[in-house]
Amino acid sequence: MHHSDHTSDTDASVHATKDRKPFFAIVFVMLLALTAMSFWVANSHLMENPTTGWAAMMAISTAKAMLVILFFMHLWWEKSWKYILTVPVTIIGVVLVLLLIPDIGNRFATYSKTRQTAAPEPYYDSQNSVPTNRPQFTE
Amino acid sequence: MTTPSQPKLTYQPALPISNGKLALWLFLSTEIMFFTGLIGTYLVLRFGAPEGTWPTPEEVHVAEWIGAVNTFVLLCSSVTIVMAFENAKQNVPAVAKKWLWATIAFGCVFLGIKAYEYASKYSHGIYPRSPRSLMYDRADLTFLNGVKLETSKLIKEALSAPSGTAVAGLDDSKVEGGVETGRSGITPVAFEQSHSTMTTAEQLQLIQTGLVKWTETKVGRTDDPVMQKLAIEALAYQVYPRAFPKQQADRIEAYFAAENAETKQRLLALSNQVDDRQNQLQTSQAELKKLQANAKTIEDGDEKKAVLAKLAEVKSSADGLTLETTRLTVERDFVAGRLKAMETFQAQGGDGINESHHLKLPMVIPSGNTWANTYFLLTGLHGIHVLIGLIVFACLLPMRLDAARSGLVENVGLYWHFVDIVWIFLFPLIYLF
Repeated sequence: MHHSDHTSDTDASVHATKDRKPFFAIVFVMLLALTAMSFWVANSHLMENPTTGWAAMMAISTAKAMLVILFFMHLWWEKSWKYILTVPVTIIGVVLVLLLIPDIGNRFATYSKTRQTAAPEPYYDSQNSVPTNRPQFTE
Repeated sequence: MTTPSQPKLTYQPALPISNGKLALWLFLSTEIMFFTGLIGTYLVLRFGAPEGTWPTPEEVHVAEWIGAVNTFVLLCSSVTIVMAFENAKQNVPAVAKKWLWATIAFGCVFLGIKAYEYASKYSHGIYPRSPRSLMYDRADLTFLNGVKLETSKLIKEALSAPSGTAVAGLDDSKVEGGVETGRSGITPVAFEQSHSTMTTAEQLQLIQTGLVKWTETKVGRTDDPVMQKLAIEALAYQVYPRAFPKQQADRIEAYFAAENAETKQRLLALSNQVDDRQNQLQTSQAELKKLQANAKTIEDGDEKKAVLAKLAEVKSSADGLTLETTRLTVERDFVAGRLKAMETFQAQGGDGINESHHLKLPMVIPSGNTWANTYFLLTGLHGIHVLIGLIVFACLLPMRLDAARSGLVENVGLYWHFVDIVWIFLFPLIYLF
């Protein structure tokens, strides 16, 4: 049963005949470049339309996370067992966030009077006596 | 009858990985769901907050570059732990140990920077607190009352401070219950002293009368809700101007300029009125004396009666004048206190009373409280994960990190990379959004 002897080792190491260190250095540089890129996005004209900027930053973060998961966590080299553990959890995670969206939408669409009286209030942004960017309650 | 031969069982691992690695990946799966829930909740609160209220990083003393440095530090630590694993796998324990030390160093730097950030939040009063945090969602009467109570509390503390904070010359009765009971409510000392020589208690009393009580009076004397709101916002601006958009800040500065000019004129008029009344009072008191002397010399009934009637009339007029003079003096001192307070606290401009005087008065930071709660929850739970990772690394230190132990190093490394991934998402969400 030489298989069981092998369980202390990983299948990743089976393939790891060549030195991966230079490769990790490249991944590291890519991660730094992506970090710099999200810093740039945050201070660029993309933030004039915040949704675009936020989407760009989340995309960059996802790319960074993928680099770390695939290479630093060796999933790239692992056998197909990796899908059992990563795919369901990713689906559950994404679905959870998507399920929260209706709540986010609802909070803007229907502003109850109770909530409005206690809600944080932005400072007036103009000479108007009523803040323009605040959802107004209609009877 | 032949007995079927016992089938020979062969055992194979369900997955071609070690039990430890499988367990760790299962654990990481639960962790992914935990952090997804946490970040999802943050997104609900962040984007569900009334538009225009979520604080920008600079409004709550968050520095983007510090977050970026911490991102860099954590990325470095991810590389160092991967190098430790590679070296352990290639059976070079001495080098693996060096990379492990480097990882621990980076982890400590990360926590150190985090601690610095937390200390900065604490020093600015940006944290959840019982029974109520210092951050208010709106500039309303609740906020005004909050500033009043907090100032009273601070005055009491300053007065009872055993250290060299001089309290001589201060009348304790004037801060009883946070509402000054003295004649004008203005500490006489405060008028003559320049800002630099004022004690903490005196500064606080000046805040209480010249800013808080003034705002209360201002709100109480008008029925116009827009003016009431503006008066309270002006106070919020004086305490913590950071949360104000430029346009609104300009509007309040203009309001102050107009009010200041008006207050100066009012002070002049009131001073003249007080002088006037005092002169009248002197005249009337002199007349009173004369009449009293007269009344003593006259014995005749009718004439005496007339003098006594006149005496009563002058006395009542003098009493009226005394009351009037007192009322005007109180008003004059109040107005003078306002000017003094504006001169003292406005001159330092910039970052507001809380910053310039190292005070923790209630601030209006719309959605600031929710921000602080989510900030500490997200970064705190992440920080705890970093701390646990460091403890596990410390447990690895006495071991020989050779090929036989590479599986262990890999598992700990997997956990550490996961912690890095969480930060990869937290950094833009907290520092850049």
